[in-house]
Amino acid sequence: MTTHHPPIVEREVRIDARPEIVFQFFVDPARMARWLGPATTLDARPGGVIQLGVSGVHGGSGQFVVVDPPRRVVYTWGWDEPNHPIPPGSTRVEFDLTPDGDGTILRFRHLELPADAVDDHTVGWTYYLDRLAVVAGGGDPGPDTMMPAKSA
Amino acid sequence: MDAQLRALADPRRRDIVRLVWGRELATGDIAARFDVTRPAISQHLAVLRQAGLVHERRDGTRRLYRARPERLAEVVRFLETFWDERLALLKRAAEAEAREEQDRDDPSPPDR
Repeated sequence: MTTHHPPIVEREVRIDARPEIVFQFFVDPARMARWLGPATTLDARPGGVIQLGVSGVHGGSGQFVVVDPPRRVVYTWGWDEPNHPIPPGSTRVEFDLTPDGDGTILRFRHLELPADAVDDHTVGWTYYLDRLAVVAGGGDPGPDTMMPAKSA
Repeated sequence: MDAQLRALADPRRRDIVRLVWGRELATGDIAARFDVTRPAISQHLAVLRQAGLVHERRDGTRRLYRARPERLAEVVRFLETFWDERLALLKRAAEAEAREEQDRDDPSPPDR
């Protein structure tokens, strides 16, 4: 039904804190302010709004998709600034927390949303970032299938 | 970086960049793909060139354009830098809280 793009950014970080502690940094406004930014709205349940004033890069917003304490948080994301190429609803961030001794392995992915899930005007950008990520990694993105060939 | 993001915010300009990705095309060839006037396309190309996203080459009276992937990769690096900074802050803050919790549960001095 949908085709999933490879992540734009993918990271794995070990944190010397249990998943129960780390998870609070996704759902508690005071704790979220210490790393991602002060929240205007933080309604941490599926469908709930997350709206942040991310310092220096202007505000962004999205909607929670998965809130599964203390294992997994997923929300859609984009920047609220007018004409920003990554508008709200165009990408998705995923955090997976796995216990590791007294600590946590945090796996992070910032993905594009499947093309059929976003507004038409954002499709170009998400498809395009996908190709960029391949090129940045030294690969060949293959032929462009997005550009309608009006003339050969 | 800001100029690049602004240049790419316009969907038509993104289409242009895709069109000249990996191949060089003249202004006329590019304009033929779009339902807008040639001056409008020239304007878009000027914005893209000023942002460093396309390379312009003159061949007689023709102007030829191709994308500059090395500059475009900076957009991806913008996101990588953004998240690397944020995740480092998360790690620091969560570990500080874990240490505070441990100090509360186990108030014995660490050098014993």
